[in-house]
Amino acid sequence: MILAPEVLAILILNSIFLLFSLVAFFLSFKISFGWDMNATTKEQYSLEKQSYLGATIIKYIFAIKLPLFLFFIFTLDKISTLLTGAMCAAGVVDATDYGAYLLILKLLNLYLFGFWLTIHYLDIKNPTLPYTKVKFEFFMVAFIFLLIEIVLEGVMFYSIDINKMVSCCGTLYSSSSTSAIAGIFSIDKSLLLTVFYGNFILIVTFYIMKYRYLFAIVNLSFLIVALISLIQFFGTYIYQLPTHHCPFCFLQRDYYYIGYLLYTLLFLGTFYGMRVGVIDMLGEKDKSGLKISLWCNFLYVILVTGYVIIYFIENGVWL
Amino acid sequence: MRMDRRVKMIRLKNITKKYELNKNNIVTALDNISLDIKDGELVVLKGVSGSGKSTILSLIASLSKPTTGDVVVNNKRVSKLPDNFASDYRQEDIGFIFQRYNLIPTLSVEDNILLPLVPTNPDELEAKEKLDMVMEQFNISDKKDTIVRNLSGGEQQRVAIARALVNNPKIVIADEPTANLDERLSLDFIEILGELKSSGKTIIVATHDPLFFDLDMVDRIVDIQGGKIV
Repeated sequence: MILAPEVLAILILNSIFLLFSLVAFFLSFKISFGWDMNATTKEQYSLEKQSYLGATIIKYIFAIKLPLFLFFIFTLDKISTLLTGAMCAAGVVDATDYGAYLLILKLLNLYLFGFWLTIHYLDIKNPTLPYTKVKFEFFMVAFIFLLIEIVLEGVMFYSIDINKMVSCCGTLYSSSSTSAIAGIFSIDKSLLLTVFYGNFILIVTFYIMKYRYLFAIVNLSFLIVALISLIQFFGTYIYQLPTHHCPFCFLQRDYYYIGYLLYTLLFLGTFYGMRVGVIDMLGEKDKSGLKISLWCNFLYVILVTGYVIIYFIENGVWL
Repeated sequence: MRMDRRVKMIRLKNITKKYELNKNNIVTALDNISLDIKDGELVVLKGVSGSGKSTILSLIASLSKPTTGDVVVNNKRVSKLPDNFASDYRQEDIGFIFQRYNLIPTLSVEDNILLPLVPTNPDELEAKEKLDMVMEQFNISDKKDTIVRNLSGGEQQRVAIARALVNNPKIVIADEPTANLDERLSLDFIEILGELKSSGKTIIVATHDPLFFDLDMVDRIVDIQGGKIV
């Protein structure tokens, strides 16, 4: 087991989250089955009070969990120096059987928790609290994902053996890798770039035409395509190395921590884009979300494209 | 007999309010009461201390929620309002005059009166207009810059009334407003109440002061005993 201060901080926070989320789950269960805003019974007034408590607990857990994702990545990167063979967070992720699943789950939870906060925001801005039941039912589902994440995170840190040699990102993110990642490298570059920029053009088009559902859907596909193209193509221009595809190394100081900015823009842009669909499903309108999504995605595209163009201007060749 | 066609402004339906001090000590402040108050009415809630008068006022002002039942004010279900909306409702619709005035003693008269306007963030000119109007109405213009703790009881009462009315609320609620005043000042207060009633405000006064029980301007006296209307 690895017990770096950052890992301890994560484990302590997880214990607190677990305790409070259990309380919130219990309250959510009661509210989901007993809520009737029109009732003037003792039970309903009691549930209304409990809903404030429950929603406040969940709000704080999720609002802290979101930036904590970046801290988790930072921690993986930091403890990579303790593992023989690891050059960055990729080695830590690969050090156990749980790392990759945990990372994917954390990414999924990032969006789930954000959607919960969105529904909560819509609920409390209306005096009749129209989405209270929905948001607590949604939390009961999100709680299961949160629980799995907390358990998986504990198990992952517990399973890391600092005496065991791990693979470096150069091995893990190469076409010769035996992992599922290798499949990414078999995709044709020009096809991938066409899909990437085509997807972004669709985002702009649906923004202009105000097709909210389609805007949300293309944001989901943009997230997937952007991650694949970042590993397969754009990353090589950030590193200025044709064979280096690691999605973690550019989080390091050597690359001016640019990865944090790239991921923040990509996750914010696609989150706000998908949020538009969630809000539309509830019959509400979200103007600011459309704009935030477009701007974040636009800046992301400009940044990654900038690396390619600058490289070409400086060296006169493509990688 | 003429029918009263005024619309129902406040409606309390089957209200029970219990205060749970601990598991074995539950006090029933109101026991299944219903009460309608019409627009522009002046209603006096009469009863001894602990009869439940103040609880009714706090329910109407959405300062607390009933244990069971519904409170509807101006077609708004105030008993169901979330806290942030309840604050807006109080700020827009209710003027509250407290027994102990609840003024901030270290602030000036002007600052105390302007306090309810702070959340609405009005422009300076609008705030000044409202301030001048209520200070003139209650004859305290010359005390504008005086620190509240240096005022007499009667003057503090008038500042409290001015503060309650600076937002021009539809409903004025007074909880034992004359409990700290001598008879002359109490009569002054009653005169102010008369002016408010003439201006069309709905007024609810909770008191056990006999001065209120024989007034012509009072539309109704509601007798409350042991949490029930008798």
